[in-house]
Amino acid sequence: MTERVGFSPARIVAVALNTFTESVRQKVFSILLLVALVFIASALFFRQFNFGEQFKFVKDTCLGLISFFGCLIAIIAPAQMLPSEIENRTIYTLLAKPVRRVEFLLGKYFGSVILLFLSVLLMSVMFGAALVVMERSVTATVMQHGPDEPGETLAQAVQQIQHEARDPNLAQAVLLIFVKTSLLAAIVLLFSTFSTSMIFNIATGFMAWIAGALVPVVKGFAWTAKWILALAAVVPDLGMFNVSDEIVQGIPVSWGHVYSVALYGLVRVLILLVAAQLVFSQREI
Amino acid sequence: MDAIRTDQLTKKYSLGWHKGRLLALDKLNLRVREGEVYGLLGPNGSGKSTTIKLLLGLVTRTEGDAWIFDVPCDRVESHLHVGFLPENPYFYRYLSGAETLEFYAKLCRMGGKGLNQRIDELLELVGLTHARDRRLASYSKGMLQRIGLAQALIHDPQLLLLDEPTAGVDPIGSRDIRDLILRLKKMGKTVLLSSHLLAQVQDVCDRIGVLNLGQLILEGDVQTLIRDQRRLSITVRELPDAGRAQVEAAVRTAGGQVVAVEHPQTTLEMLFLEAVRKDPRGVKGHD
Repeated sequence: MTERVGFSPARIVAVALNTFTESVRQKVFSILLLVALVFIASALFFRQFNFGEQFKFVKDTCLGLISFFGCLIAIIAPAQMLPSEIENRTIYTLLAKPVRRVEFLLGKYFGSVILLFLSVLLMSVMFGAALVVMERSVTATVMQHGPDEPGETLAQAVQQIQHEARDPNLAQAVLLIFVKTSLLAAIVLLFSTFSTSMIFNIATGFMAWIAGALVPVVKGFAWTAKWILALAAVVPDLGMFNVSDEIVQGIPVSWGHVYSVALYGLVRVLILLVAAQLVFSQREI
Repeated sequence: MDAIRTDQLTKKYSLGWHKGRLLALDKLNLRVREGEVYGLLGPNGSGKSTTIKLLLGLVTRTEGDAWIFDVPCDRVESHLHVGFLPENPYFYRYLSGAETLEFYAKLCRMGGKGLNQRIDELLELVGLTHARDRRLASYSKGMLQRIGLAQALIHDPQLLLLDEPTAGVDPIGSRDIRDLILRLKKMGKTVLLSSHLLAQVQDVCDRIGVLNLGQLILEGDVQTLIRDQRRLSITVRELPDAGRAQVEAAVRTAGGQVVAVEHPQTTLEMLFLEAVRKDPRGVKGHD
């Protein structure tokens, strides 16, 4: 009876899907649906500007909301995973099976990532739907009242509307938001490997979110003390993932930059997962 | 080969900053043979759950060693042949009975056509076929214990670790679990049973060990341990008063001493079960 139990991606998938199912059945998606409705409503409400300003406003607002709610889910979902497994003793039955702790931990993390992926995707689809609604609405207005800009032909105005509504660069912003939320989830998972309190995990998650967003600000100050700069080097720079402002303003962002920022995020995730496993492998349950 | 073997197994829990350490288990030497039902008894805090957690590698040992089927307990391979039911398990409330078993089966890398059949077999074994597709949120405590047993058995382990399997369960559910343990024994499984319910342990266990303050203070065969060698009991039926006087006289003549003459009593558990089972309305609300 000395068979080997190898590392198994199938077990990670089993834990991840179960974690995802648990999150879905905890009504997280209902909240997301509500947010999606806000998106659509926002597309229909803001009509007081000229159409260029309207599109900028909606894009800015929607990307901000996707990022905000994505980060919120990235903190709350992983924060309660380990504490609830321990409190309900389900972790005992899981780890009593031939399951390695690293497989359990990765399953929990990827369960959150699936949730984040689908959440960001759903919100983005709703964002896209809002832009389509806006495009039709603004086009109809322009066709009826003529172009906003003096000297602009109707065809030029319609082309400009389509250009604003169908901006492929929005995908860059959404991709980086997804990587940012995955990184935040890894930070919270690391905290939860040594804490038993969901509240603590959520609080530290919010602190990491704020600290990560402040990193570029801190680095920008010449007078910052060395220890603060050292701390800023350790805390993941979440400001790097924000390309929404450029994209909304129509400033092009290269895919090379997007990939390098995504790679930075993935490397940080890897480091955090290794640290989480080091703590969790020694944890007494 | 022993199913479980521990050698000087010791566990000390840290109580926090400058508060020292709590000795939960002290040099435990335990042997559980293959195919036997072993009862681990002891008051709260005696080290029963710690022993099980150490065997499952959920906590790390301070000193000593432990093996399951000769595989060190801190290796994940030792879990290949172990099924575990924790005390008061909750499981995932959003899964149905069948989904729960499927999830645990996947953790054991089981799949394919045989899996559904295995799930059906186990639901039948624990009497939950009728609740196959119901979410666990609607299960009673006894049903949760039984689905817990089913998940422990999903990969057909040779050894079962049951931590207070009847805690909080009503007498009927408790009896069902007792019967299940006996069936598992007949199937050749080894069972380590941790319990406070001494009558139940007496019914199902071959051997017992008593833990107190982390130390094994008594161990042995149940029948040998409970037998009172100095007393003899004769049960007779339909004996008239004259006959009774003659028997008592015969005992005295043979040099014996009559200590008590009384009618045998049934147990409260038997009385309860009989009353409930005789009720023509059945046992509504149990499941």
